Amino acid sequence: MKKREGFSPTVYILSSLVTLAVLLLCVSAGSVRVPLRDTVSIIWNSVLGLPIPEGMSKSIVFFVRLPRVICAGLIGASLSLCGAAMQGLLRNPLADGSTLGISSGASIGAVLALAFGFSIPGLSGGGVMLTAIIFAFASLMVILTLAYSLDFSLSTNTIILIGIVFSMFAGSIVSLVITFSDEHVKTVVFWLMGSLSGSSFLNALILLVTLAVCGTVILRFSRELNAFAIGEDNARNIGVNVRLVKQIVLVAVSALIGVTVSIGGTINFVGLVIPHMTRMVTGPNHKKLLPASMFSGAVFLMLADLFSRVILSPKELPIGVVTSFVGSITFVYIFYSSRRGRG
Amino acid sequence: MKKHRAFILVLALLLAPSALSGCGENQGVSAASPTPASAQKSAAINVKDMQNREVSLSAPATKIVALTPADCEILYALGAGGTVVGRGQYCDYPEAVKKIPAVQSGSDTNVEQIIALGPQVVIMSKLAQTDEQIAALEKAGIKVVVTTAKDIAGTYTSIRLIGAVVGKNNEAEKLVSDMKAAFAELSSKVKENSGKKIYLEVASLKNGLWAAGKGTFMDEIATMLGLKNIFSDISSWSKVSQEQVIERNPDYIVTFEMTYTDGQDPVKEIMSRKGWEDITAIKNKAVLSSTSNELMRPGPRLVDGAKMLYNFAYGK
Amino acid sequence: MLEARNLSVRYGNLSVLDDVSFKIGKKEWVMIAGPNGAGKSTIVNAVSGGAPYTGVLLFEGKDLRRLKPAEIARHIGILAQSSHVGYSFTVEEIIKLGRYAYSKGAFSPISRKDEEYIERALELTGLSEIRRQSVLTLSGGERQRTFLAQVLAQDPELLILDEPTNHLDLLYQKSTFEMIKTWIEETGRSVVSVVHDLSLAKAYGTHALLMNKGRLVASGAVKEVLTRERLGVVYGMDVYDWLSSMLSQWQED
Repeated sequence: MKKREGFSPTVYILSSLVTLAVLLLCVSAGSVRVPLRDTVSIIWNSVLGLPIPEGMSKSIVFFVRLPRVICAGLIGASLSLCGAAMQGLLRNPLADGSTLGISSGASIGAVLALAFGFSIPGLSGGGVMLTAIIFAFASLMVILTLAYSLDFSLSTNTIILIGIVFSMFAGSIVSLVITFSDEHVKTVVFWLMGSLSGSSFLNALILLVTLAVCGTVILRFSRELNAFAIGEDNARNIGVNVRLVKQIVLVAVSALIGVTVSIGGTINFVGLVIPHMTRMVTGPNHKKLLPASMFSGAVFLMLADLFSRVILSPKELPIGVVTSFVGSITFVYIFYSSRRGRG
Repeated sequence: MKKHRAFILVLALLLAPSALSGCGENQGVSAASPTPASAQKSAAINVKDMQNREVSLSAPATKIVALTPADCEILYALGAGGTVVGRGQYCDYPEAVKKIPAVQSGSDTNVEQIIALGPQVVIMSKLAQTDEQIAALEKAGIKVVVTTAKDIAGTYTSIRLIGAVVGKNNEAEKLVSDMKAAFAELSSKVKENSGKKIYLEVASLKNGLWAAGKGTFMDEIATMLGLKNIFSDISSWSKVSQEQVIERNPDYIVTFEMTYTDGQDPVKEIMSRKGWEDITAIKNKAVLSSTSNELMRPGPRLVDGAKMLYNFAYGK
Repeated sequence: MLEARNLSVRYGNLSVLDDVSFKIGKKEWVMIAGPNGAGKSTIVNAVSGGAPYTGVLLFEGKDLRRLKPAEIARHIGILAQSSHVGYSFTVEEIIKLGRYAYSKGAFSPISRKDEEYIERALELTGLSEIRRQSVLTLSGGERQRTFLAQVLAQDPELLILDEPTNHLDLLYQKSTFEMIKTWIEETGRSVVSVVHDLSLAKAYGTHALLMNKGRLVASGAVKEVLTRERLGVVYGMDVYDWLSSMLSQWQED
């Protein structure tokens, strides 16, 4: 009769193995051919500090691909977790960092930091990260305040409409900043399209720490998120501290989105598509949905990045193009089927 | 999705003045025919611009708005800087041009702004402007001369064309032959096919790693100097794969990236990239940062850019 | 148990609840009655924290404002009017959340005691058979009962029901009221319910609050409050006459 609400350890071990297998695949595949066996021995020897066998391209595998694939995985997991949490908190299957305009907000912060050279001494890229987080949170506040004052029940249409308007607003601010700062920051435009090219082990570490902290906070609120997903009134009635939980989850989400935007640029729709697909398999219970979304988000973004790296070799496709393509189709599908389901 | 399109628009706008947009070659540069010598006597000038449009002026133009940075530079190099009454917002060379009123260019071109400056002629690039804009200006009684240089030969054509418009055919001829001589001197100094490879970076790793390929001035001049662009298999600018840079192992690296925050030095940043240690250029410290625009504009300073590249690759 | 002192709720300039005071004792079933817009549901919203109020609400002498949400939930259970659910949670998952206020930590598993309450609630509401079904596939009545089971699993000392049988057919109305009656008898707890059906109020209630236009008209034992004269004033019609003429339709000659 004893039942567990979350996954059993076996499921976790299996998911980790699958994720690891995809990671290896993505590290060994690329526009330069490196056999799988070489890939494994390069990583293995590098981690253990052993010498690399002659004729193997350590630099490509260990310094270029590995940190990039790890960053892709961590960003995928983070964005997907954020999407799942927002969709539960707002009881809205279309809520996500990109549809709500939080990512665009974060990019205002990042572009401002780049344009005006705001930096934190001793931490390269720290200025961009900090302003991205602050702007992510500020935009979330603006969007939710607007939405609540328009429509207290936060219906799908209101949220999406405000998200679109806010994204356009943020886009115009970004263009304005670029226009005013002229030649100096013109390549910021490239950065905005999302790129994992510059990923380093330091980036991976920052992402890992952020995900560990914010992820634990969000997972800790699985049950509260279940209650919110049923309805905010119901959450209040069963004794959830509605205000507090909402504030903490939103801060955690903003921090995660801010850090991912500052490292990978705006990568849209991952947080929308992955939790939705995952929910079809696991059901809406956040005890399963949240961890499963993290695994599938990681796998998805690693594969999307692989696709963007090899499809046009030696050119690369901006990763945002790949995720937006997959994402916008899914978005239309969800919107259409949710409207039909209600009518 | 919407936002993305906006960014691409901005991107196009930024690239357009550098005459590097990837619209592909159309008919190639048609040789514009400046005024025959006989017309020099009578003040009237008839030219065919690089769009094959007939433009006739009753006298050499004395009030000109030039929208692209390259055309501004050509005007000044011909000693006709005094005719410039308005410039495109991105025109920044020579220093004197910055004192002249700026107008919006590219997709933001504001016809009223230009008319208000009262020019006789507007010189613009077809890569950045639209036919509608041309039509609107002509309706207002302003002559439009279109330049469309995509390579060095095209640059000579636009110099001659602009020379004709301001009545400085001789100066234009001299400028062209000086440029030709300078290029010839440089390429004669280059040993046949050094076989050395060069990597031309437009946007740094942090901004997604973009490189210049075929159909750019950087590529053309590098090739002229006997250097092989490692990304000659892509056209115009493109995001490239980092591992391909490492795999293709360039002997020289030039970066044109201008966005460096945290007071970072571009050369140091490239030298410190993880995984790039084994690239020949990094081992030999053969990395150059260029933040002036010589190699991006179809103008007289292409010679300066070529000299810079020569000195960098072969020493003085 | 619950005491309201000078309770008022205003939305901007609109006063929806005006200086209402009452006390609810142990083992009472208090019916809140009155026409539409009388402020019945607003009382429920004030207690649940969904409407900002002035005045004081005390539970066993303690100010509700000073209690943590989980503490309140252990004492007071509220069944709201709306039972809309966004995602396809199962009946059991929703009922389990009723035990939220009793959990020790975020990752602590469900205790044996929790399970007993969940099973009892499933049994009382007759939902055992469909416990694994998604609520999105249920009828309106089954969904309403799912949330009733949730609040029963919450095991509150005071149960507040906002129109629990609204939109339900007669059979559900009867079984729901009988079930709540059984629950009061078994546990000795108190219930407050907002009702429209005055016959139900008289049949099941022990006490009543009669509301009109945001004010409390009368309170006390149900028989003394819901009198023919008072109802006549509040509703502007003779309720008894109308109900008996309704009933007379059933006489089969």
